[in-house]
Amino acid sequence: MLDAQITAAILGVCLAGAIFYLVRRDHLHGPYAAWWLMVAAATLILGIFPAVVTWLGLLTGIKYAPVLPIIVALSLILLRLLKLDIDRSRQERQIRRLTQKLAILDHELQSLRAGEAKPAQAQSTPETWED
Amino acid sequence: MSLPAPAECLAVIPARDEVATVGAVVCGIRAALGCAVLVVDDASTDGTASAAQLAGATVLRLPIGQGAWGASQAGIRFAERNGYRWVITVDADGQHDPASLPLLLARQAQESANVVIGTCVERLSLPKRIAWQYLRMLTGLGLRDFTSGLRLYDASAMRILATPEASLLDFQDVGVLMLLAGKGLKISETPVTMRARIEGHSRVFASWAMVARYMFNTTILCISRLDIGSRNNAAKARGT
Repeated sequence: MLDAQITAAILGVCLAGAIFYLVRRDHLHGPYAAWWLMVAAATLILGIFPAVVTWLGLLTGIKYAPVLPIIVALSLILLRLLKLDIDRSRQERQIRRLTQKLAILDHELQSLRAGEAKPAQAQSTPETWED
Repeated sequence: MSLPAPAECLAVIPARDEVATVGAVVCGIRAALGCAVLVVDDASTDGTASAAQLAGATVLRLPIGQGAWGASQAGIRFAERNGYRWVITVDADGQHDPASLPLLLARQAQESANVVIGTCVERLSLPKRIAWQYLRMLTGLGLRDFTSGLRLYDASAMRILATPEASLLDFQDVGVLMLLAGKGLKISETPVTMRARIEGHSRVFASWAMVARYMFNTTILCISRLDIGSRNNAAKARGT
């Protein structure tokens, strides 16, 4: 039978190793890599030194210390999910606008190729066109 | 105030899989108003684009489906880029009578409103009536029809609707109107006659479950957009 500390250490090291591997392979980019590296570091430390949890429990006055990492992890997961949905909304907006612009420019390209004049000659086509 | 000139008008028809009706709608608008017609093909799979082109419309093809409002916004951005001063949006399913288009222009000239909605009051069913009463309360907009796709926008309304702020809306309805009212634009309505849909049915009011979901989403949208400024402007738009 394994010692609980060894089990925790194995889990922590495996998770950290997997994240390091993914970051190295360029599957996670920029700010995501930084976030997940922090998660990897935390699991590594908590896995190897479980006494840290007991110490944190004493420090925060929580009697049953093992619940502390669970609470923190859950809150972080919720925050992360929220951030994910915010990012998704931003990307949806960008995709919609790019799609619209693509359709408009595609139409202009087709008319230019066909050698027609533009349907209604732009009186004031803006120099810069926002996305 | 003179009538908006047809040459400065662009009729925008958002269309998804409306091959059966889109051609007739395009011809009807061209005959009634003589303005340019743009069909925004929202990733149709049934040849809507070629039917529209055959009927004499300019066609934009969206490679990814965006829903009715995304397609309308593409049309508004196209109109802005090409120097049009007015946009009239018309549904592709043939429920709007092209003969009623001049009514919108006349109402605009009469009241110099920034937005004119073509409303058909007798069409409203019981769930719609309840929904509208609720929306009037929630938004403070004194309008009779919130979802009518028959609308005239002027240049300032077009400018606002072309911005990224309007890009995450899903329908051309309450969200669009609240955005415009919040910027202080004047919204007006004119009664028009509507025909029964030749084919297809309302995408929003298909079932009670859909209505419930729509109302829930719209409520959230309204709450997120409500501020004192927009309420005051809404009162102004109502003329009270």
